[in-house]
Amino acid sequence: MKTTSVRLGVGVLLLGCSLLAQAETGTVIRASDLKQKPFLDAASAGRVSPGNNVTIVSRQGAWMQVKAGNQAGWIKLLNVRTGSGTASSSGNSLGTLAKVLTTGSSGTTVTTGVKGLTSGEVTATHPDLAQLQKLDDYAISSTQAATTARAVPLKARQVPDIPSRAATTRSN
Amino acid sequence: MRRPALALCLGLSFGLATSTFALDLNNVLDKLNNNPDLVNALSGTVKGVVDANRTITPQEEQSIGNGLASNMLGAAPLVKDEALQRYVNDVGAWVASQSGASGVKWRFGVIDTDTINSFAMPGGVVLVTRGLLGQMQSEAQLACVLGHESTHVLRHHHLRAIQSSAGRDALSNAVQGAIAYKGSNAGKQIGANLASGFSEVYVRGLDKDDEFEADITGMVLCARAGYNPYALAAVLQNLDALNPADGNLQLLFATHPTPRARLDKIDAVVGEQLEPYASGVENTVRFQSFAKRYSKVGLTTTP
Repeated sequence: MKTTSVRLGVGVLLLGCSLLAQAETGTVIRASDLKQKPFLDAASAGRVSPGNNVTIVSRQGAWMQVKAGNQAGWIKLLNVRTGSGTASSSGNSLGTLAKVLTTGSSGTTVTTGVKGLTSGEVTATHPDLAQLQKLDDYAISSTQAATTARAVPLKARQVPDIPSRAATTRSN
Repeated sequence: MRRPALALCLGLSFGLATSTFALDLNNVLDKLNNNPDLVNALSGTVKGVVDANRTITPQEEQSIGNGLASNMLGAAPLVKDEALQRYVNDVGAWVASQSGASGVKWRFGVIDTDTINSFAMPGGVVLVTRGLLGQMQSEAQLACVLGHESTHVLRHHHLRAIQSSAGRDALSNAVQGAIAYKGSNAGKQIGANLASGFSEVYVRGLDKDDEFEADITGMVLCARAGYNPYALAAVLQNLDALNPADGNLQLLFATHPTPRARLDKIDAVVGEQLEPYASGVENTVRFQSFAKRYSKVGLTTTP
């Protein structure tokens, strides 16, 4: 019993470390309040402006815990952008991304020297019907899925559709 | 005697071919020429193609999806981990069922490649790579990715893309070839070979509006299933922080709008609307047991 809980503890610790290893930075895209807790009505912990750099600590729901200069708190995660599109990325990686996109859209994506599943492999014709049969064997019905989900527990909720093709603008 | 006649017939029916499609046609014709049995089967059904308004039936959609899936599985087989495969079906079938659609034969799988990507096939197949699974930090993130792919299936995005590039008739022919051989293993193989000729759609990618729709509807399905829908935004932020030059990301980035563009769209269209559901489930014990086995942090991130 004790051994199990110790082992679980180590597992959770390891997972925590792997998430920390992915700690990223981001850039604020609109003026936002920092909150002391990840709730709209939580007390203010400061304010950040567009272009401010933040270090991402964690995420919860629609919120992201960040450090920004000498401030720290929670910001709406959609108010932050990470990676190549932000000021923190180098011109180098942007150039590489552009190149990848160009070759991709021209339909002649380079396949040499690329690890993983390449475009050439995806289009090569070697259908594996035995694997398809395995895939079929693992399938479950939606009734079975609902039973398993209840045990998690996951609860279905009524959520209205959000049309994506209509011109919708957000009034933040 | 029969072979050239059929080739001519197919050629005429494909008169409005684009250059991309011409390649597909050559593919199909090559296969026909190598399979006399199939030619005989098709010659009996080929008159069906004159009806240009004919719609693809759900059964045919599944047939072509099976062909595409078996081709993808030929390139990267399922990870040999039965518990993992059953787990993604538990999550995927639950999320997909939130659409309320009936008659879709949902089948989810994890394929064995470091590549970071996921694929949806007409008729209900969703394949996630081991590489993408390794990037997931929570079950909610996985659920939202499966919701994204399920939306491609539900809205027939790939089928429409194939039809618009290869033409309704080409697709119809490939499908009829498969149907003609229903039940026989040799027929299934030939049908799969024909359908897999359309695999190019996974290299060409979908219309960017299809991807945005999959993101937004995927978030809605994820919320309905009881998860935090903003986990999809977290996935995109994490992808955006990876080095786009990494070979494992090339196919994904070549076939999708940038993570940044997708986040901007989610920001503009969804915004705060799903916040009432953001307190949904983020993580589970079952996810964490798989995360320990498959989590991957070795990828380079942007400097």
